[in-house]
Amino acid sequence: MSASIDLAAFAGTDPILTLAREVFSAMIDPDPAALRPWTGDVPALVEATYAWVDLGGETPGRVLLTTERATATRLTRGLLGLADDEPVEDADLVDAFGEIANVLGGNVKSLVPDPGALTLPTVAATSPAGPVPDLLHEVRLDWRGDVLVIALWSLS
Amino acid sequence: MRVLVADDSRVMRQIVIRTLRQAGYDWEVTEAADGASALEIAMEMDPDLILSDWNMPELTGIELLRRVQASGMEIPLGFVTSEGSTQMREAAEAAGALFLIAKPFTPEAFRDTIDPFLA
Repeated sequence: MSASIDLAAFAGTDPILTLAREVFSAMIDPDPAALRPWTGDVPALVEATYAWVDLGGETPGRVLLTTERATATRLTRGLLGLADDEPVEDADLVDAFGEIANVLGGNVKSLVPDPGALTLPTVAATSPAGPVPDLLHEVRLDWRGDVLVIALWSLS
Repeated sequence: MRVLVADDSRVMRQIVIRTLRQAGYDWEVTEAADGASALEIAMEMDPDLILSDWNMPELTGIELLRRVQASGMEIPLGFVTSEGSTQMREAAEAAGALFLIAKPFTPEAFRDTIDPFLA
């Protein structure tokens, strides 16, 4: 999928990082410095939480987000404009984290020539089942000390 | 002004409603959690505007638009969707949508897109 994305059009910046920054600054965290590439190894995740959307068409692919449940909770608070100590219901966490995958997936779709339909988002405590796809691209992000991994997979 | 906000994500509906307020639109808002509900509510309330997601269960946003048009009701519909490609914008325009706002969006994007249609 990302093999079809023209990286040169982004003047050397990672288009997924650019998209993630747009999503965060508009919807989650207005501080543009709050989201940056993760440096060093990604630690083992506590209560890993996954959200993904699949893209159909001639170059089918998947946009997969991975983070810790605590981070998904904080992301939900950011999206809903909740205070740091306000409780987050499971349904809202699933909704919010899935919607981040949906928005990223929709924007990735815009970068792919002749894309097919985008699926509705799935959120789970385990990574997607099925055949092991090929990893095309991965961005490891640091959001205020929390790790968030965005991966593009080929489903061809 | 009465607006119907249709999105299967409750969180996204809240963000759309918050952004409408931040953009200065003090409108009466009704929510629908999927396309079929949106159609039913639209037929009943005859809103001044529908803001609809594209990719929804039951009835997609474009199917909602076509069903509203087929009913004979003239309710303007604008998409608020994560898919803002040229193809999607052309498809939305061809189907008779008023506009397409791509997610992520800002209050400024709402004003820039919606204001011209309020004159």
